[in-house]
Amino acid sequence: MAKKITQIAIYGKGGIGKSTTTSNISASLAKAGYKVMQFGCDPKSDSTNTLRGGKYIPTVLDTLREKNTVKAEEVLFQGFGGVYCVEAGGPAPGVGCAGRGIITAVQLLKQLKVFEELDLDFVLYDVLGDVVCGGFAVPIREGIAEHVFTVSSADFMAIYAANNLFKGIQKYSNSGGALLGGVIANSINAPYAKEIVDDFVKQTGTQVIGYVPRSVTVTQSELQGKTTIEAAPDSEQAKVYQQLAARIAGHKDSKAPTPLDVKDLREWAAKWADQLLAMETGEVRSAAANI
Amino acid sequence: MSEFIERPRYFCALGGALETLSALPDVVPILHAAPGCAGNITWTQNGGSGLQVGGYCAALAVPSSNVQEREVVFGGLERLREEIRSTVELIEGRLYFVITGCVTEVIGDDVKAVVSEFQKEGVPIIHAETGGFKGNSYYGYDLVLQSLFRNYLERDVLKVKKRVNVWGVVPFMDVFWRGNLEGVRTLLEKLGLEVNSFFSGADTLDDIRKAGGAELNIVLSDVYGVEAAEVFQEVHGTPYIQLPLPVGPSATDQFLQQVSEALSLNKSATDQMIAAEHQQYYHYFEPLIEGYNDLDLQRYAIIIGDVNYAVALTRFLADDLGWLPEFVVFTDQLSEEQQQKLTDARFDLKSGLKPKVVFETDTSEIIRHLKQNWPEFKSQKYYNAFSPAFVVGSSLDRDLAQSIGASHLSISFPVANRVVIDRGYTGYRGGLRLIEDLLSSIIVGR
Repeated sequence: MAKKITQIAIYGKGGIGKSTTTSNISASLAKAGYKVMQFGCDPKSDSTNTLRGGKYIPTVLDTLREKNTVKAEEVLFQGFGGVYCVEAGGPAPGVGCAGRGIITAVQLLKQLKVFEELDLDFVLYDVLGDVVCGGFAVPIREGIAEHVFTVSSADFMAIYAANNLFKGIQKYSNSGGALLGGVIANSINAPYAKEIVDDFVKQTGTQVIGYVPRSVTVTQSELQGKTTIEAAPDSEQAKVYQQLAARIAGHKDSKAPTPLDVKDLREWAAKWADQLLAMETGEVRSAAANI
Repeated sequence: MSEFIERPRYFCALGGALETLSALPDVVPILHAAPGCAGNITWTQNGGSGLQVGGYCAALAVPSSNVQEREVVFGGLERLREEIRSTVELIEGRLYFVITGCVTEVIGDDVKAVVSEFQKEGVPIIHAETGGFKGNSYYGYDLVLQSLFRNYLERDVLKVKKRVNVWGVVPFMDVFWRGNLEGVRTLLEKLGLEVNSFFSGADTLDDIRKAGGAELNIVLSDVYGVEAAEVFQEVHGTPYIQLPLPVGPSATDQFLQQVSEALSLNKSATDQMIAAEHQQYYHYFEPLIEGYNDLDLQRYAIIIGDVNYAVALTRFLADDLGWLPEFVVFTDQLSEEQQQKLTDARFDLKSGLKPKVVFETDTSEIIRHLKQNWPEFKSQKYYNAFSPAFVVGSSLDRDLAQSIGASHLSISFPVANRVVIDRGYTGYRGGLRLIEDLLSSIIVGR
């Protein structure tokens, strides 16, 4: 019997650090001995760069544009630790339909049965920012990924994007779609940032699967075209990523989130805005207020 | 959630646009759409337009970009460019007209940009955005006319007295479009007018190009082509009047009088023309009277049709033929405002009859309305009996006719059980044609 492949989709607002986080998770999983594929689902096609020494690989759609059939070996490239890298690719900005492109690329890989043939343990989909149309929801629809993780900072816009994604997950959750594993809290340095994300996951019935602090090590590694796992294997940041990867590898039960509606989300944000303002002006509102 | 329409009597905007272009002289349509579009349109037309399908670069012979998945993902403009280039090279035409389908509209292909590249090279080419989701085939007709008026007609043409344009009869959706347009043309020409009707055999692309010189536009519909009339007025400054399709003497008299009034024509000349037409009409009609009475050919009538026909046929049956239109069904999707306007303005019958008017897009629902309004129509032979009855509708209404034991004639789209070439029902002569067809279908088994 073929072993079960765990398929994971990672979403989050554009620029929040999805590709960085995903690549570091892939590298950590590979280092831990798993067979991993990272599938970049973004027309920019730079998800797997740091796994491949900063180099771009030919994308599924570019290959498909040149000719009618695509063979697996034309779009599959191995990177650090043997991670298989694939980029969906897409049209130039402003033309065509990137959403349809993602559907085409994902379906093609499914048809080629590469997941089974490569005997993979994990497939990680790194998907473009907001779920703006049906195409970007393909990895969370029936039969593809089972678990979704959202990368979010404590920034309101990132949380807004995460909440939107939760709506998508909730929508597909009744028809065999992927369920939410949790939030990867990124760029968490200030104490209030952790509190904001913690409060958000509480409101929406999910959990934080790991906290990742902002670190210059990540930037240094990326400038070398590498993941932190490859460039600074002994750093604190590498440990953070390895712990995160281990939690994700051990994660079994995802569930449908309870996203906030627009009004509640605004009120929730306003409440936090007040609190942050109070913090800045020195007003004490926590348990210490009673001292 | 929106409702579905059971057995619709039209197809998509792209379909209407393609039919419209197929009917324009010397125009070559180019579809920027998925491969199935032309086929689906063709087979619908084949099933509904009195066996009229095909033609030069029409139906399945239409040039189409046939966009595939690759074009959907990366954009279809390169494919369109190639298709236009080959079409212009290989296919003779005086105006190339690009229309778009759902897929290319959804992905947002900038068709205008490509079309203007060719325009700069001197190719006579324009386009209209006709994604199927924009509306039904009647609206597709409107969209094509809007683009024609905006992008093809010469601007600032001097207005010419007694020159008029006529539209509002949708080619192929009105299966009798050729005959109907010719009928109206002939009438207007008898009034001394110079007529451009775009789609009749007598129309040319040169005349169409100069259509901006018309003093008045006559829209033969309460709905079809009305937005285009607004565009025409905005771009070329020609006002328009909306008149119902004139079928038979009563409606035609009124039609001629209203046109004559709008153009300030000599009233007595118009009256004289009307009188002469009447003389001929009733002279021809007279020998039928004996048979009509002896065979008892008067009928209760159910009229089921699009906006143009529901109005025109009811009027004719009530005020000219002396039938009893009891029940009128409009099958178009209409706004409440449009519905109100139609019931208020178009059912002031000279005969004083007040038919029940219903707006229903679902074919199978029509019988329900009938039973609701005439619960006794089956039970009583003499008292309140809905018999003998006649259903003037489309091919889809044959079942209804059979179920109430009524005769049936298909006139409104779809007309699948008749062959139509240039038959028309407009004007005085059209009224006579309609009498022939109605009464023949009663006595066909004789």
